[in-house]
Amino acid sequence: MDFRQLIKSLQDIVGEENVVYHSDDLLVFEYDGSVDRGMPEAVVFPSCTDEVSRVVKLASSAGIPVVGRGTGTGLSGGAIAPPGGIQIAFPRMNHILEVDTGNRLAIVEPGVINLHLDTRVRKEGLRYAPDPSSQKACSLGGNIAENSGGPHCLAYGTTTNHVLGMEVVLEDGSIINLGSLARETVGYDLRGVFTGSEGTFGIATQIAVRLLPIPEAVRTFLGVFSDIESACTAVSAVIEHGIVPAALEMIDALTIQAVQKVTDAGYPDNAGAVLLIELEGLRDEVDEIGKEVEAALWDTGATQVRTAEEAKEREQLWVGRNGALGALGGIAPNYFLVDGVVPRTQLAKVLGQVSTISAKYDIPIANVFHAGDGNLHPCLLFDERQPGSLEKIMEAGTEVLQVCVDAGGTLTGEHGVGLEKKEQMPLVYSEDDMASMLLVRESFAPTNNMNPGKIFPDGIKPIPHAHPAAPGMTI
Amino acid sequence: MQSYLIDQLSQLLGGNSVSTSDGHEIDGLTPQAVVRPADLLQLSEIMRWAASKQVSLLPRGGGTRSSLGNIPLKTDVVLDMGAFDHVLDYQPADMTATVEAGMTLSSMQRQLALGGEFVPLESAQSDRSTIGGILSVGAGGPLSHTYGLPREWLIGISVMTTKGIVTKAGGKVVKNVTGYDLNKLYTGALGTLGVIVEASFKLLPREPHSGALVVSFPTVEASIAAGRKLLHTPAAPLGYHCVSSGVTNWLKHFSQPVSQELGLENREAPLCFSYFAGRAQATKRRMDEATAVLLSEGGNATYRIEGNAADEMLKWLTDTASIIKTSSTLVMKISVQPQLASSVSKECADITVLGQIPDQVVDPGFGSIRFFWSEPGNDSTQASDVDQSVLDAIQKIRAIIHRYKGSAVVENCPVGVKRQIDIWGHPPDSLELMQSIKKRFDPDCILNPGRFLGGI
Repeated sequence: MDFRQLIKSLQDIVGEENVVYHSDDLLVFEYDGSVDRGMPEAVVFPSCTDEVSRVVKLASSAGIPVVGRGTGTGLSGGAIAPPGGIQIAFPRMNHILEVDTGNRLAIVEPGVINLHLDTRVRKEGLRYAPDPSSQKACSLGGNIAENSGGPHCLAYGTTTNHVLGMEVVLEDGSIINLGSLARETVGYDLRGVFTGSEGTFGIATQIAVRLLPIPEAVRTFLGVFSDIESACTAVSAVIEHGIVPAALEMIDALTIQAVQKVTDAGYPDNAGAVLLIELEGLRDEVDEIGKEVEAALWDTGATQVRTAEEAKEREQLWVGRNGALGALGGIAPNYFLVDGVVPRTQLAKVLGQVSTISAKYDIPIANVFHAGDGNLHPCLLFDERQPGSLEKIMEAGTEVLQVCVDAGGTLTGEHGVGLEKKEQMPLVYSEDDMASMLLVRESFAPTNNMNPGKIFPDGIKPIPHAHPAAPGMTI
Repeated sequence: MQSYLIDQLSQLLGGNSVSTSDGHEIDGLTPQAVVRPADLLQLSEIMRWAASKQVSLLPRGGGTRSSLGNIPLKTDVVLDMGAFDHVLDYQPADMTATVEAGMTLSSMQRQLALGGEFVPLESAQSDRSTIGGILSVGAGGPLSHTYGLPREWLIGISVMTTKGIVTKAGGKVVKNVTGYDLNKLYTGALGTLGVIVEASFKLLPREPHSGALVVSFPTVEASIAAGRKLLHTPAAPLGYHCVSSGVTNWLKHFSQPVSQELGLENREAPLCFSYFAGRAQATKRRMDEATAVLLSEGGNATYRIEGNAADEMLKWLTDTASIIKTSSTLVMKISVQPQLASSVSKECADITVLGQIPDQVVDPGFGSIRFFWSEPGNDSTQASDVDQSVLDAIQKIRAIIHRYKGSAVVENCPVGVKRQIDIWGHPPDSLELMQSIKKRFDPDCILNPGRFLGGI
């Protein structure tokens, strides 16, 4: 099929105004939140499942690869179009179709923004628990693809623990349902294995998610420490008390300095690390456990402890955490974000090794991360205008991942493998492990036409481009 | 034929690992041998041998759920995973643990208790049921309203493929999106894709206090409605179960005090069970408020216990299904949206098997209902009449559940009925996909052939 014919056929399905193909218009679809880029041939905006099905069927029969794209906030290149591929994006399929308070579930289209769903259901006393830090911008379809996490996943689990069922379009255009509206279904858990498959199995066109009740009380604690080791000790102390907070986040000295330059988050300039801890539950629990948390923070050397319970004040404590990545733009124009996970007991050791790598490569590395989960986010800061800087960054990033894996951890906790880390997969999985995974892909997508070239090593190096840290970007 | 398989296996592994299959009957079929591999190497040899000879393998943990599933197409060799019963890695401060698949749940919990933690898996007969078995069945228990299913807690898995190769997915960290989440695929697959050899879990800290409330109600319907109300308050228990009056008889055997206190000695009554755990103050408040809600919603008498007694009550409730099952002609497990539990309970309540109405255990928080039809008093009924009556009941239940878009699994029924139905019910529209996955993972169809849905 020649290009003009392809565009015409796509237009016939979704309408002329819903196909983008001029190179100027395509520029914004060239990248996501990672360092990778790839120009799609066209981007299609379907309005319903049937249109998605027809577009996918058309593309597959013409051998044109298809990638679903949410809002482009992904951090592993998952939504980057492969050469010659088209993207399907969902700005028109952004409806919350149903909020069922009795059964505590919602049915949404893939283009619904994570925070929009949460805001909507909070009116009913409910919440959607998974809260990627990009939740103001990221879509639920993208969350499904990446099995997204977020600060509150410590207590509530990631996206996969909240998806009940979905309607998906497979590469031949067929439409099937996975899971159901009941919590338990018969047969293989295909909605479970679909979640986190990074768009390589198909495209979710309707998603049913579980909602949780809003807790009676929420209290946030901010502990300031003079160094990162004592902050890590505090994390262990909290866990050892038998406490699983709703969130447990850490910010290191470099990030604190960057944040304080941009906004007054109330951190002392000489702080070595800041811990943010959030407790949720009955007021009685929050009171009792809160005292233990406070004591643990003081016992492990906190120089300052602040708490807040009112929503506004709590937000104030979170300001520094939420604005961290944007603030790093004050240190260097570009960043490369690593998503390694380690067992919680290895945090202090691995952060030390990351610091050694930072010195070895002479790259500033800022750390702002989900300490409770052991999910690091070392942010390698650089200036792409300096020749060779990106190559150096990629090398250092791989070394950071190696350190995580050596500590018993893994490559990615919530961002996905995508393009960015596919060549590192052999660090954690054998060829046999990956062969088993590919058996599942062969069943869902026998011709590998859905988001090909992602997750598994194929020796094809993406051409990395860096882009500047923008205030809207969050992790 | 029998000595032939035993001979071959003995040659392969040495005689100590192989035995005849006395007592391992499945749906009236007697497997020809039981093999108990001592290590991964032996397991690998068995898998490769079985695949090359098209010998069917029936993986087995504690055997507590071996009646679940369709009648196997072939029952050659039972694969006893009992030798794989070690904790491989447990760091309390990481709140994760890795164990071998043949380890029993209670033995795992005992080890985790030393570190002040537990794994939120639930299973009847936890001193026999194994981690591999629990994962393969994939089911939860009385607290699944809060803890969900085993799928929520499994973070890593090692599986022996039919090629005799150990493959892993996930890992030992609590958050992981590296590669496809095959943990989910193997959980609930009834051992049809590979043999689980190791599993890693995320854990929770043990709560310092626990308590249970048992409240009697005039009807099951009222107890479900009260539960729905309670579950939507901050005092919600970790799990809430309603049982019909017939189950009360079983409770009497378990606990005299509860029968006395609720006045159940001379009459039967529907009951609800609530289980709570947490810090002392919060647990007390939850139980106080729950009592008030349940009484104002029609509850008659309440019985309140704490600590060990509450945990024992929870264990009894977890075991109920396996206890009542032993004297039931038919057991069905229904899953629907939670709010529909009440309608399902009501609509199915008068469907009879040989004139008997079912007992029920309802979880209105999770949306599951088990119906038990007990064996008729006189055993003079012809087997064919029993089968017909059971078949009729299954069809009626399925018609109702189909309307509610739920699932209805036949957990226990006479073999004569099993031959005529798919115990898993109407297959989902993704069946073809499931069959395709099965074919790729087990091309010679040697693992539990025919036991899963749609002929898998």
